Amino acid sequence: MRAGDSPGDAATALELRNVSQVFSSGPFWNRSENVAVNDVSFKLSSNPSLITAVAGESGSGKTTLGRIMLGFQRPTLGEVVYRGEDVARMRSAERKQFRREVQAIFQDPYSVFNPFYKVDHIFMMAIKRFGLASSSEESRHLMEEAISAVGLRPAETLGRYPHQLSGGQRQRVMVARSLLLKPKVIIADEPVSMVDASLRATILETLRSLNHELGIAILYITHDLTTAYQVADNILIMYLGHVVEAGEVERVINDPRHPYTQLLVQSIPMPDPNRRWADARSRGESPYAGEAIRAGICPFVNRCPDAMVECTDALPDSYRVDAYRISRCFLHRESGMTESREISSYFRLPD
Amino acid sequence: MSSLLSISNLQVHFNIRAGTARAVDGLDLELAPGEKLGLVGESGSGKTTTALAVMRMIRPPGVIVDGSSIRLDDRQLLDLSENEMRQVRGRDIAMVPQAAMNALNPVRRIGDQIRDGLVDHGVRESRSANYDRMVTLLDQVGLGENVLGLYPHELSGGMKQRVTIAMAISHRPRLILADEPTSALDVVVQRQVMETLEEVRTAIGAAVILVGHDMGLMAQFADRIGVMYAGKMVELAPVQQIFADPAHPYTRLLISSLPDTAGKRPLQGIPGLPPSLLAIPPGCPFMQRCPDAMDLCAVEKPTLMGDARKVSCHLHTTESLAVN
Repeated sequence: MRAGDSPGDAATALELRNVSQVFSSGPFWNRSENVAVNDVSFKLSSNPSLITAVAGESGSGKTTLGRIMLGFQRPTLGEVVYRGEDVARMRSAERKQFRREVQAIFQDPYSVFNPFYKVDHIFMMAIKRFGLASSSEESRHLMEEAISAVGLRPAETLGRYPHQLSGGQRQRVMVARSLLLKPKVIIADEPVSMVDASLRATILETLRSLNHELGIAILYITHDLTTAYQVADNILIMYLGHVVEAGEVERVINDPRHPYTQLLVQSIPMPDPNRRWADARSRGESPYAGEAIRAGICPFVNRCPDAMVECTDALPDSYRVDAYRISRCFLHRESGMTESREISSYFRLPD
Repeated sequence: MSSLLSISNLQVHFNIRAGTARAVDGLDLELAPGEKLGLVGESGSGKTTTALAVMRMIRPPGVIVDGSSIRLDDRQLLDLSENEMRQVRGRDIAMVPQAAMNALNPVRRIGDQIRDGLVDHGVRESRSANYDRMVTLLDQVGLGENVLGLYPHELSGGMKQRVTIAMAISHRPRLILADEPTSALDVVVQRQVMETLEEVRTAIGAAVILVGHDMGLMAQFADRIGVMYAGKMVELAPVQQIFADPAHPYTRLLISSLPDTAGKRPLQGIPGLPPSLLAIPPGCPFMQRCPDAMDLCAVEKPTLMGDARKVSCHLHTTESLAVN
């Protein structure tokens, strides 16, 4: 299949259509609005199933995007569509199926557990809620199967309390719990940022094998570009609610085009003393809470080393830089506007 | 060159109900003036406890065991009275904390907080001289004069961490202990803060011990790297050697588990878990997870050997390390 082709609508798993999320705060006479997600459309397709990374700094809107896809947050504008149905309007049976097939894995493998219950509890709740087993042997079998699939030994995991497991083990227990429900989509929000380096690799490898072997589509939300590069097929780079660059991960990370992506990639602390940080082209930090950015202009303009006059006049469109990549920057205007608003139509699919 | 800091046989124990946890279990370390040392290890390896011990900030139930030694120049820090130690903290040894948001008092202006640190250590000067001094400090870390009048919540994470760096250098200390100073920051800001730390470090000629688990950050910053495992130093070597030719099997596995952006490859973690600090096995603490373990490793603890490059592993002898 070529880029630009729609990757089989029938197989589409989860889709965002022109989604925006605005958080407003303050009293009505002095309302401040914070655009966490600005008009994003993209699909997490189940056939072929891909791993898509969403990267950006804190406050870029990546976590909000994930929460919207999970149906935890109703977007201000636009809709979330699963198997052709608007998630916000689903009836309870459909909603239950959605809840089962779209699973979440969160950052903190400590706070998701109730310390008073054994690890088994988190599995039993899922089994009961979705009626997965009719006998205790059957549920035991399901639990063991899921735990083995993430590389843990059931005998050393079941019957234990959360504090008896390491952070890495708990995070894999959470992956096992999602697996139990035979999901079609997993949304993993910073699943390894609180786990030691030696265990990170194991968890990421588990996610990768779920994608390759079971065909589960994965949205991997992270601030760490090196793990995104290793795990994902395609990537969205977000900055203050806008997808500023997106496409095949190899291109975006090893040959970034948007000035913000370039800054991000230059700032990666490479584990190689012979490749130390080169000169940064931009100083300054993104505006933080309380310091609003003007709508309708390029959100990166105040930090951009390549800023031009027009950047303060209008928000750049998405331009198609090459076959598998788009960039939201006036520098790439020559390349022509994207035909589709839907970012995933520019993703590279596996050969 | 004589050492700025020399730690020998440092043992820190936590006496808890379940027994004695040996958080630091016989650590030796020499640091030269102006040197940048990275101290890495997974959670529970004792890296932060080591830094706290140098500041003598271990709280009960933790104790620094008799027989431990921490010398700054020729002063034995463990023999100082609490009052004398107070003078050392901040003036000779300063700390840049992990969570800048918790290190600053939320209800006081930045200027007042910096002034407290100055006055505490006996700086007596006119208001205008004091103001000028604070402006200079902030300027060194890339912040403007206006920050003096702001409260912590009005600053971003990176700005707060810069303020704590300004406070740390306010007495021109010779040793700065930085415990994961950028773990809460984004990569771009992380890089800016680390560059600032390096600039001010060069300006005042201080040595730095950077504690952390991010090997990427260590590769960018450190001259030498100490790898800790279960309360012990298992390898201590120049940064180039650690990455190009790690000698200890733990270091080797740690380096190969790091993701990079030069081609996709299977990610390999280190199987298993570190031993409980309550019951460290008699032999090598890494033996259970080590692909190269031998019979000897189960019975005999390896010791840290070597000169420029030190390793604690039965695979190596002082001679074999010198050849490499």
